[in-house]
Amino acid sequence: MAVRSSSEDLFDSILMADNRFHIEGYREGFEEGTRQGMIEGRNHGMLHGAKLSAEVCFYHGFALAWKCLLQNSEDVKARKRLKAVESLVGLIQKFPYEDPEYENLQEDMEKVRAKFRQVCSLLNVAADFREYLSGSSGMSF
Amino acid sequence: MKDTVELVQRLSAHPDSRCWYVAWNPKGSLLASCGGDRAVRIWGKEGDSWECKSVLSDGHQRTVRKVAWSPCGNYLASASFDATTCIWKKKNDDFECLTVLEGHENEVKCVAWAPSGNMLATCSRDKSVWIWEVDEEDEYECVSVVNSHTQDVKHVVWHPTQELLASASYDNKVCIYKEEDDDWECRATLEGHTSTVWSLSFDPEGHRLASCSDDRTVKIWKECTPGDGEGDGSTDTWKCACTLSGFHSRTVYDVAWDRLTGALATACGDDGIRVFKEDPAADPEQPVFNLTAHVPKAHSQDVNCVAWHPQEVGVMATCSDNGEIAIWKYESEV
Repeated sequence: MAVRSSSEDLFDSILMADNRFHIEGYREGFEEGTRQGMIEGRNHGMLHGAKLSAEVCFYHGFALAWKCLLQNSEDVKARKRLKAVESLVGLIQKFPYEDPEYENLQEDMEKVRAKFRQVCSLLNVAADFREYLSGSSGMSF
Repeated sequence: MKDTVELVQRLSAHPDSRCWYVAWNPKGSLLASCGGDRAVRIWGKEGDSWECKSVLSDGHQRTVRKVAWSPCGNYLASASFDATTCIWKKKNDDFECLTVLEGHENEVKCVAWAPSGNMLATCSRDKSVWIWEVDEEDEYECVSVVNSHTQDVKHVVWHPTQELLASASYDNKVCIYKEEDDDWECRATLEGHTSTVWSLSFDPEGHRLASCSDDRTVKIWKECTPGDGEGDGSTDTWKCACTLSGFHSRTVYDVAWDRLTGALATACGDDGIRVFKEDPAADPEQPVFNLTAHVPKAHSQDVNCVAWHPQEVGVMATCSDNGEIAIWKYESEV
């Protein structure tokens, strides 16, 4: 009877080893994965944030420059254009840079893009962010 | 099906090409057509027969997808795959290109004039809808760009009396827009079709909207009046009141609600033209439409468009991928 019991313990530890190492391995792997995921996520977020900010700030600079050019004109047409430019500035100022989890980010971005295109049409200038990016391949962030 | 549709005349409108769209001028004296040959043609009646009066061929570099007459009948707008919209002014019997509207990134799919004549809407494969304002000096200014669809926008149509715009898209949805603080906003999204929505038509009073789709159905949408507890005021609610399914064997490309009789006509990819009439005895909340006429082999290929004559009861024009226009007379047995 005693022999049988000790042999049972022996097999137990062998059989359980598989389970124990599995748990330990999982924990180590999880930690490693978390670390790598953090780095990947950070890089992805940085890239995405930089892209988005570059685009919004491109529109901001464009809008501010045109605001300066238009604001002293008394011409009716210029007033109309200034209003549209100001509305673009307004949209950009409201843009939630601080909150990466803002749920309407995509919609707000589409609104800024739409307003920019309307302003371009009113001003009769052909400006495009993508063209601007591809035309300045020497620039890096 | 007790009603009849008889062929009045067949016109080889855009030979060796597709005829995409036809539009009657408000008086119904002229019919404009456009096609893959990059031209717009104007047809008028001489005696009993429709003849080509002018060809507007120097406006576009690519396919002309849609044409629209201004409510006064003196202007014609043409939307093209070359990303532009041309505005033509009628001068005696001829047309001259007044201005070219640029701004869309790629193919312009549709153009529509607001009932006031002071506004124009265009839509494009670039997923946007543009609203333009016209001033007294015939100058066009973009008042708003709306990106509410996630895909190609196929069609835009104005409400017959209100300043309200509807658009249909490859994203299977219909959007309804209104002006809001100098900007146009999507007020309602109509979801229900399971494939591309190709065209839209308001009923004569503007209470309901018909949409037709690649899913082979036509849907009738009804606006819910505010105050019945739905919505919070920031959006409008439109509900699908009825679906016409089982009638069409292919994509339904166009739907037209007759201003004069209230009949509903469809143009289908199965080469058929169909006319539906509403059952007057049905509950207005659950309307019933019956198929009253069917022309199975209307053209030898897809029927792209159907348009009711604005003045003559029962007259309609259709056009097809085979480049033809056909004029029909629908007779209702009542």
